[in-house]
Amino acid sequence: MRWVTRAGVHIDRAACAWLIRRFIDPDAEFTFVTDPAAVPPAATAFDIRGADLSHHGADCSFETILRRYELADPVLWKIAQIVHEADLDDQRYDAPEAAGFDVALRGLSMTCADARVLELAGPLFDGLYEYCRRATLLGREPG
Amino acid sequence: MEQRRKPRSTGDEPGLWVLLCYRVPREPSAPRIAIWRKLRRLGTAQLADGLVALPADARTREQLEWTAEEVSEAGGSAGIWLARPATGAQERDLAAAMAAARAAEYAAVAGRARAAQGADGPARAAALRRLRGELRRISRRDYFPPPEREQARAAVEALVSPGPAAPDQAGAAAATDGGNRP
Repeated sequence: MRWVTRAGVHIDRAACAWLIRRFIDPDAEFTFVTDPAAVPPAATAFDIRGADLSHHGADCSFETILRRYELADPVLWKIAQIVHEADLDDQRYDAPEAAGFDVALRGLSMTCADARVLELAGPLFDGLYEYCRRATLLGREPG
Repeated sequence: MEQRRKPRSTGDEPGLWVLLCYRVPREPSAPRIAIWRKLRRLGTAQLADGLVALPADARTREQLEWTAEEVSEAGGSAGIWLARPATGAQERDLAAAMAAARAAEYAAVAGRARAAQGADGPARAAALRRLRGELRRISRRDYFPPPEREQARAAVEALVSPGPAAPDQAGAAAATDGGNRP
């Protein structure tokens, strides 16, 4: 399936792309556009103004995708809190990890093209998922 | 960050600004208040009723675009504009007003930091953590840093050096706190 998002990816789009490839569509192909009107009709758009898989109310796009695809995994919702705070910084959640992720992704977007940012962010989110999974199981920070 | 500071051109070439022109229904009030809070958090300059501005960069433009989306979802109407103040003087006035708003916030933080200076170890550690967070949030909406920023930072960081009363307690409090995180 083809997925389209805005060029100049940052934390929300990088996290969404990881989520889509790992939990929704393993064969996902991503394209980046600068103009929301340039989204091809056959593609599914996310984190673009006007798309359904976007910000809604207080939710960032990552949270919207979790809701739309009914992904109830508590580990994903923990990651959603970090993505939300890194993206919106509105103190809705207590996610001290957000500041670090924000800087890491912002820096990557300065030195790498969008496709490369997704490549590099993938293993980072895989690791975050594993970390949050162990933390959820243990009920404390994993060693 | 570098990009964000660009409109501070002190020359006569005004920078690019992103403007949100919006109208939200008076009722229900919850989404209207949420939008107002979001704009305040972003540190927008109020140009007129329903018209706010930020120096344009990828991040500010995106934040205002999402806010526009939220306005539409709340049953209102919103538009995003890119504009340049016609004169350097007009831009400097705008920047000065924004800097003054931030300066007042920094001064409040500095005042609270100085008030916490006499507190005991654990209270100082708690104040330090809280005020650092607040400084970070203010800095994110600070596009034209006023001198008060450094003063506030210095006042907050002065809380780091262990107080004369109980330096061990401060360390213990910080350690306990770290272990309590989920």
